[in-house]
Amino acid sequence: MKSRLLEHALSIVLVTLFFSVLIIFMRGKEADIQADRTAAIAPYLELDFIDFGNPLHRAQFAEALDVFYPDRRAGNDSLIQSIESFRQEQFTSEEYKTGGEKRGLSSGKALQLIGMFAQFCLVYLIVMVLSHRASTGLAIIRFVNMRAARPSALAQIILHARGSRPRGSSWYLTLLFLLLKSFGVFLGYAVLFAPAYVIAYSIRSGFDTDSYLFMVILGVISNGLLITRASRFSAFLTAESRKGYVQTSIVKNLDASYQWGKGIPYKAVVEPTKVLSSHVFRHIYRNARHQYLPSLKEHASFLITGLIIIEMALNIQGHLGYELLQNILYRQYDVAVAIIVGIFLIVKATDMVIDAWVLREAARYENK
Amino acid sequence: MILKRGTIVSRQDILWTCIWVGGLIVLGIWDGLFLNSPAFVMVQTAFRNTVLACTFVLLLSLLFGWASGIALHFLETNNRPLYLLTTFALNVLRSVPQIIGTLIGYVILTFFLGRGILNSQTSQLAWMSLVIALVVFQEVTDLVRERIAHYSKLEFFHAMLSCGIKEHRIINREILWKNSRAHLLNKLVSIFATAIFLQCSIDFIVSVGLSTDVSLSNFPVTLGSLLAKLDSKQDILAIGTILKDITSIRSLFFEHLQGISTACIIVFSLFCLYKISQGLARHYRL
Repeated sequence: MKSRLLEHALSIVLVTLFFSVLIIFMRGKEADIQADRTAAIAPYLELDFIDFGNPLHRAQFAEALDVFYPDRRAGNDSLIQSIESFRQEQFTSEEYKTGGEKRGLSSGKALQLIGMFAQFCLVYLIVMVLSHRASTGLAIIRFVNMRAARPSALAQIILHARGSRPRGSSWYLTLLFLLLKSFGVFLGYAVLFAPAYVIAYSIRSGFDTDSYLFMVILGVISNGLLITRASRFSAFLTAESRKGYVQTSIVKNLDASYQWGKGIPYKAVVEPTKVLSSHVFRHIYRNARHQYLPSLKEHASFLITGLIIIEMALNIQGHLGYELLQNILYRQYDVAVAIIVGIFLIVKATDMVIDAWVLREAARYENK
Repeated sequence: MILKRGTIVSRQDILWTCIWVGGLIVLGIWDGLFLNSPAFVMVQTAFRNTVLACTFVLLLSLLFGWASGIALHFLETNNRPLYLLTTFALNVLRSVPQIIGTLIGYVILTFFLGRGILNSQTSQLAWMSLVIALVVFQEVTDLVRERIAHYSKLEFFHAMLSCGIKEHRIINREILWKNSRAHLLNKLVSIFATAIFLQCSIDFIVSVGLSTDVSLSNFPVTLGSLLAKLDSKQDILAIGTILKDITSIRSLFFEHLQGISTACIIVFSLFCLYKISQGLARHYRL
């Protein structure tokens, strides 16, 4: 455990150090760029007979530049563009407004980022717990259905279509029910595999998609996160169920009935450990979970990716992902780097918690 | 059981590959009939570019993953300090969420474009693929190392070493090529799906919120950037109207085809790739 913690701590220190140096370098660079830019246009701004707010003066200035420097027309255009941008900034830049902030990573900005960071952590924690529980539940449903040899929705339709003759009204009603069920399953899969922004845009006209609740729901169900995690855990359950000790346990009379409500209670979806110890599933679950836990690190990383995509793609203002995008857009790279360091720290903290959890479980597993 | 052994239905991976290709062909025919031709050309180009970029991601991931997996194996036994250093660096890279890594790649791309480097669309696609490959290749590395570790414990490995067969030959040929192709194939399918997801997401984000200095027309059209276009977004927004008025569902298939087709290709591809991966896992008992 100590070596794992040491590795995490070392990576946190090194990466933070590297990015801190990068931030300092970028802040210096930003000041240099500003100074260079102002120096390049300053002589022209000092010409008191030109009013750059007057379109006629601007056009004459552009023509004069082309006459004096005919071989660098692109450079002339970009000079005019720079003057225009500089003038616009005098009215639009936050820096010049009362109570406005300086560009880059100021103390005010840092405080603002800490608030956003706390919000992000909270949403991340909620989504992490919910998606873990939901994917475990879904995996259990799939595993139990598979063991009970329950046919899929599509297979049920084929079986029904091949079924009894003559076909009365009840046959058609069952077929309709199965078709609706298949459509529901298809729709469910479409939602589970759809990227978050597709779902959000498709229901944006009817719902407030900027709320925290919506973000949490979207974080749990979209981007294929839930279904891939469920599939992963289901694979662990299946692999475990093929092991020799399971067959031996069944021969030694442990319950192996996979009927919902009889062998496996419905509450097992939410609380799998509540299954009777005389049922083989309980042991399969515990051993599969032990192997599944380390993969939660990948889950965490992918979950953060999903949350950032949601915040960026939906332009949810005041959130960390949106702030990161805006700062990249306005080339305030020091702020962007600070946000990236924050996100890196979340991933590392999650890794450390999961490592500690895995080691604790391993100690129990090995009867230490 | 309705799934007979030896039929295409029993090979879920092949079945879902056929469903995927078939579904895309049906969608193409439908779009050919009802979508206006400029938009249809754009959807085709976007699809082609996305598939091209993701295939490139696949190849690069395989290359990087295979090479790094083997390199780590040899470093572990021959040069412990370098092994620890490389593992540490790879773990740090792993701790950067994929979307952040890809976003950094885009920032560098816009920097290059601003200086007149990487001007051709193919080179931009290649760059995007390289960036995505760098954030996903470690899945292949882990698999390669896991397979080597598994087979190294078996007797045949030591027997072959005793016979004078070189270790790199045993690993590359006997372990990875002969005994791990199915595992690698399954991993590559899931990497292809991840690449589609990441590429579409990053292109969508970039098209919505980035790059004011560099004109978006410079970037090659992909499914993500096509989905971010105003027309497509309005088409997707139209899905919401069927919640209020179910009769408007007809318009989705005839009037809002550009956005619906693009979203459909993304979601349908991700779903089919998942099913193919599951089918492979079931068939080869991975």
